[in-house]
Amino acid sequence: MKKEFFITRYDVKAENSFALDDNIMVKDGLTTGGSKMLHNFVSPLQATVVEKLLDAGMELAGKTKLDEFTAPGIAAETCDILSGAVGAVSEGACKIALCNDVSGKIRRQAPENGLYYIHPTYGTVSRFGLIPTVSSMDQIGIVCKNIDDGFNALGIITGHDEKDVTTFPQKSYAYTPKEGGFKIGIPSNVMELTDEKGRKAIYNFTGKYDTEETELKYFEVFAQVMYILSSAEIGNNTSRYDGVKFGYRTENYTGLNDLYTKTRTEGFGLDMKLLSIMGAHVLSRQNYEAYYLKSMKIRRLIKEHAIDLFSRYDAIALPLKLNDPDPYKNSALYAFATLCGLPSVSVPLGSDGGIQLISQVKNENSLFGICKGGR
Amino acid sequence: MEYEIVMGLEVHVELATKSKLFCACAAKFGAEANENVCPACAGMPGMLPVINKRAVELGIVAGLVTNCEITRTISFDKKNYFYPDLPTGYQITQLYAPICRNGFVDIETEAGNKRIRIKQIHIEEDAGKLVHDYRPDSSLVDFNRASVPLIEIVSEPDFRSSDEVVAYLEKLRSLLTFADVSDCKMQEGSMRCDVNISVRKVGSDILGTRTEIKNMNSLKAIARAIEFESQRHISALETGCEELVQETRRWDDNKGETYSMRDKEDATDYRYFPNPEILPVHISDEWISEIKDSLPELAHEKYDRLTGCYGLSDYDSKLITSGKNISDIFDRTLEFVDNPKEVANWIIGDLASIAREENKSYDEIEIDCEKFGKIIKMVENKVINRTIGKKVLQLLFRDNIDPESYVRENKLGMITDAGYLENVIKEVLAENEKSVLEYKAGNQKVISFFVGRIMRKTQGKADPGSVNSILRRELNDWN
Amino acid sequence: MDLQTVLEYEAMVKLDLPESERIWIAEKASMLEDSFSELSKVDTEGIEPLISVLDLNYTLREDIPIKSISREEILSNSPEQCDGYFQVPKTIE
Repeated sequence: MKKEFFITRYDVKAENSFALDDNIMVKDGLTTGGSKMLHNFVSPLQATVVEKLLDAGMELAGKTKLDEFTAPGIAAETCDILSGAVGAVSEGACKIALCNDVSGKIRRQAPENGLYYIHPTYGTVSRFGLIPTVSSMDQIGIVCKNIDDGFNALGIITGHDEKDVTTFPQKSYAYTPKEGGFKIGIPSNVMELTDEKGRKAIYNFTGKYDTEETELKYFEVFAQVMYILSSAEIGNNTSRYDGVKFGYRTENYTGLNDLYTKTRTEGFGLDMKLLSIMGAHVLSRQNYEAYYLKSMKIRRLIKEHAIDLFSRYDAIALPLKLNDPDPYKNSALYAFATLCGLPSVSVPLGSDGGIQLISQVKNENSLFGICKGGR
Repeated sequence: MEYEIVMGLEVHVELATKSKLFCACAAKFGAEANENVCPACAGMPGMLPVINKRAVELGIVAGLVTNCEITRTISFDKKNYFYPDLPTGYQITQLYAPICRNGFVDIETEAGNKRIRIKQIHIEEDAGKLVHDYRPDSSLVDFNRASVPLIEIVSEPDFRSSDEVVAYLEKLRSLLTFADVSDCKMQEGSMRCDVNISVRKVGSDILGTRTEIKNMNSLKAIARAIEFESQRHISALETGCEELVQETRRWDDNKGETYSMRDKEDATDYRYFPNPEILPVHISDEWISEIKDSLPELAHEKYDRLTGCYGLSDYDSKLITSGKNISDIFDRTLEFVDNPKEVANWIIGDLASIAREENKSYDEIEIDCEKFGKIIKMVENKVINRTIGKKVLQLLFRDNIDPESYVRENKLGMITDAGYLENVIKEVLAENEKSVLEYKAGNQKVISFFVGRIMRKTQGKADPGSVNSILRRELNDWN
Repeated sequence: MDLQTVLEYEAMVKLDLPESERIWIAEKASMLEDSFSELSKVDTEGIEPLISVLDLNYTLREDIPIKSISREEILSNSPEQCDGYFQVPKTIE
């Protein structure tokens, strides 16, 4: 077992254990968010998901490595590092791993490593105790080898939490695979941009289903909308890291401004710095309307389009990669579920790689059904 | 050249909630540093804001008493800036959909009546407190006030004099304290006022350069700051000795002047955006009418009750409704003494003068109204006379003594024994024959001199009624 | 985005980048900004901005104070403290 997927590791049996990305808080435990900024931060509180899994009798295997604050990076080097959560489950160090996949990195890497990733409907899992990245999109999801294990754990962690009033009022959710009668939409405008392998994965998988070619509207601006909204929120959510109350503080400084500036310059990685600067840029007086407000409006159009699509299809199938390897462009493939708060499952398909299936709000059971081979 | 001052006000008022705006920490004043702080209001990650319902209710009340329209769907926004008293690096406030809009407050000054328009009222969280004088090289941060709910009341630029500003602030304080929105204490910072000021030539409709002045912590300071700043503007325009720039200036109360904070307003970009962690809150008609129905009695309504139902004079009624505290003392004492006129007399005549002697404002008077009522009753029932009553009230005010046992233990009960009083009076007259002769010569004033001597001999306990009648009889019988 | 603009944003978000990082960021930011021009092709006339995807009745909290954590615990993560306060360099002259 390779240790380097973990930041903190506990000595428990793998069978009934869960790992957490190190942005999910365990009371009195170190929670770094994958950042030097929080290298010494001891959490004063317990995340609701942790409370629920422990109450259900599962054991904590450890805290896994993640990109700094799990922020969507465009520096190619961070995009290629294997996610700790994927690595840990893939190596058999734990049964499931919980993480917050805003960027889509884990939704891509999980199937590439023979694993599922369940990204549940926004508002079904409490975010209390999750270090925020992009508040309007943050959603704890599950990496698992076995889809039943994943949905079983999802049943445990979902439900209303009075500490997170942005969760739906529903107290608990039971996930059972839907029987069948599925209709899957395949967006041809996206298929055109993917490679032979990606197309093959989609067609092989959906061959036995009732499928229809369709269009995923606004796909050409998904990456932009995603980056604009998330940079603003990330910049804002990470402005609390300033060396005053907790976490990293620079060693030598003269005066307050120097303390702030040195602490943040030394504490953040390159992608975070770019996101902070872009966040300020898109929210600045001169750009707010053209970038931020415009993106929020397009986000509504995309959500309305999703409602229309799912009035016709049980699921939309998307590939994991585009022809063009540029990580920024590829982020568009994962933006649909993230921007609209939709449930998705990334499905491993052996030599075909994998695909992602997206469904309408709270329709996880259709995705579960398709994964279980229902027609 | 004649100049006109044009001012608009931003008044911050701390809401009288028990807990903070977005977390359940206590919001009370005066706790030990960082005692009322949790991970959320210390800026730690992982906590989500949950709005205090009472804060929204008080925001609605503030709007109702200032004749505002209540916004039916309110939302919250984030305002970004770095400062050590701001734990998250952003303040949650309302930019796009404030809770109230388009209201007004009517004020009265010597120049007459005037309507001041209110542009909007919004809810926001307070920042923490910085302590500078504790350590030589560092400032200390206390987050007890961080995330305590505030409202900011933004007026239109309708003010033309400091009298109007003061009248408006007094009116706001009356409205908001009587409605239990806030205690509005300027010294404790639960009411703060920033003034936007510019001057222009009379008759001109072009506004001059605007500055914002802050850091005034009393009405007097506000009036002085306005005086100083308007003069600075006028002399800059007249002499050209200084160029006016749009900026924020701090008031230095010791020096009696404003100084630049070197923070050009236009240079600060707060990068506001809608807070995605707080969903819009819908305010229903039912909720508003529920709040309307449970509004406490406001000062002018109480004035009507005092003059109408109780037949109190205009002067007395105005004084009793001049502040929430003194008005509460009146009502609470009335629960024990069913005699509004008498209670009013005691408050205006005695309690007010004791407060003045003790250097306390009406707002600072703290008194046990049940005990106060007992004193009034003892006088009414002739257990003690009024002079002793006032003395006991003084002790109640200072030391919260129990009036009944105090009177008993110190034998302060009224002396009504006619035989005893007659002896005392005869003694006094014998000792002051000269004054008796003056009385005989027609000088009525010496009566009060004799009463004073008699009271001294009885340690003030004599029944004034009996003293008066016996004294006159003895004087007339004197030969 | 030129280096001067990056510098202005650095001041705003309290960063002071080494030259090499500033150049990298200016380059990436320009690339991103070029891509943002695509946005104007989407017609958003009359569309309300979407702030949260959630469509649910937001619940408010009753005004009941609760003490959740001790002052010692709150301060235990702080880099510098003094007599129950967080400590920072002097903020006024």
